[in-house]
Amino acid sequence: MARLTIRYLLLTLVSAAWLVPLYLLVVNAITPMSDYAGEASWWPGSFGLLENLNVAAEQADIGSGLLNSLLYAVTGGLGAVVFAALASFAVVVMPVKRPALWFWLIYTGTLLPLQIFLPPLFKAYNQTAIYDTQFGLMIIYVAICIPFAHFLIRNYLMTVPEEIAEAAQLDGAGWGRLFFQIHLPLIKASLMAAFVFQFTWIWNDLLFGITLSTSPEIRPVQAALAQLTGGIYSVGPPVALATALVVSIPTLVLFLSAQRFFASSLTMSR
Amino acid sequence: MGVLLLVPFALTTYQSFTQDNGLEPPTFIGLDNYIALMRDAGFLHSLLNTVLWTVGAILLPAGVGLAIATFTQHLRFGKIFQLVFIVPYALSGVATGTIWSFLLSTEGPINTVLAGVGLGSLAQGWLLTWPVNTLVMIGVYVWQVSGVAVILFLVGLNAVPKETIEAGQLDGAKGPALFWQIIFPQLRAITVVVIGISLTNGLRVFDLIWVLTGGGPGQVSEALAVTMYRRTFVLGQYGVGSAVAVVLTIIVVVTSWIYLRAQMPRRSR
Repeated sequence: MARLTIRYLLLTLVSAAWLVPLYLLVVNAITPMSDYAGEASWWPGSFGLLENLNVAAEQADIGSGLLNSLLYAVTGGLGAVVFAALASFAVVVMPVKRPALWFWLIYTGTLLPLQIFLPPLFKAYNQTAIYDTQFGLMIIYVAICIPFAHFLIRNYLMTVPEEIAEAAQLDGAGWGRLFFQIHLPLIKASLMAAFVFQFTWIWNDLLFGITLSTSPEIRPVQAALAQLTGGIYSVGPPVALATALVVSIPTLVLFLSAQRFFASSLTMSR
Repeated sequence: MGVLLLVPFALTTYQSFTQDNGLEPPTFIGLDNYIALMRDAGFLHSLLNTVLWTVGAILLPAGVGLAIATFTQHLRFGKIFQLVFIVPYALSGVATGTIWSFLLSTEGPINTVLAGVGLGSLAQGWLLTWPVNTLVMIGVYVWQVSGVAVILFLVGLNAVPKETIEAGQLDGAKGPALFWQIIFPQLRAITVVVIGISLTNGLRVFDLIWVLTGGGPGQVSEALAVTMYRRTFVLGQYGVGSAVAVVLTIIVVVTSWIYLRAQMPRRSR
């Protein structure tokens, strides 16, 4: 009994330490700029979240940033899942030569640090005039997300028994039918997991956002937030924190609701 | 994908052997960029920071994750405790940086609390001196990412068969002995995943440093990922920046490879 009490006590202490930053984030994000006197608020006062967001929208065009990030995360996530599913189908179900080689070729994309891709991408983007365009960011996000999505989906697809495909082929199903009507429904769970994963990743990305775009109408929201934070004392902490809070809500909701899902797909696959 | 990823990879590697300021056509200079880097105190310092980051970013989140998962697994309110650790993992590096640059600022809540409890002498500009700034940022990173280790270790703990634990208890093992000798070995597969993920992520932390210190003051808190970005895109030294990227890549690939080989002696996929 005493041991259990100590355990609760310790856990409560550590959790409190973990929680305080989140608590202060919320309290200070809703403290109106006009009430902020240079010191952190420890208790919620009047509700100024919208006022703060207004300032953020004026200073760094957070609105466009949010819409851009939504566009990139949805198209990037979906695109990556589609290509990764096709690639997985090709590697696992269709009789290709050297499936392992193809797998590693694609998978290498997740092992390498992203920095290695940036300089030539930046140059190529500049030369082909897709630098600082929404299209440019969409295609790079699709490409960068394929390897890991492929990794998740392929491993899941490996667990589908071969007999299913054989039986369907005996009944006269072609590759297209096999893919759309048999395998796609079977691997739905892994497609969802991969999408959630890549959506979150793209939404949270800063590096590609600041490297391949500059204008506020194109830039993803993390770049806008970084700009606000860099000048935290010109806009004041409440504005930066209010933005950080709003920017975090979509991934927080998505991630927490898909948490189980995510854990099982990740552990099964390695 | 091949065009957008594999080709750039090859190009960066080639570029690292050239003198390139982005304005004139690049000229081939062999290993000169690498030699210059090896003589550059700033680069070596950045390398040292990267080592600190890697060690801290592997051991601490894995340790926190394992401890929290173990102590909350069968607890009545365990789920609530777990949630507290998992929430920061969904935040972006930039959002995390924003929160902590507020907490750590000279007039910020951390210094206020320290002064309030009579430890005012400990209050300081947390991000202004090395190595404090790097260690503090590693701490922030641990705060952010430990949740994923909690999730993964929970999955692992739930997969340990009850019979194994009961057999261990029959043999008289309990408490720490039961954990380290019976349960922990069963978590091996998960531990490999957790460490593997931490290894690659810890080596390439960018956004957190970028937001919290920008690599400064001076360049004392830069890690390789930041050095690469600054050299290439701020200073326009494409050749040198590429060389930094190649060095980083080599470190990531070699360490992952050594680690995975050591962990999966026989039946690798």
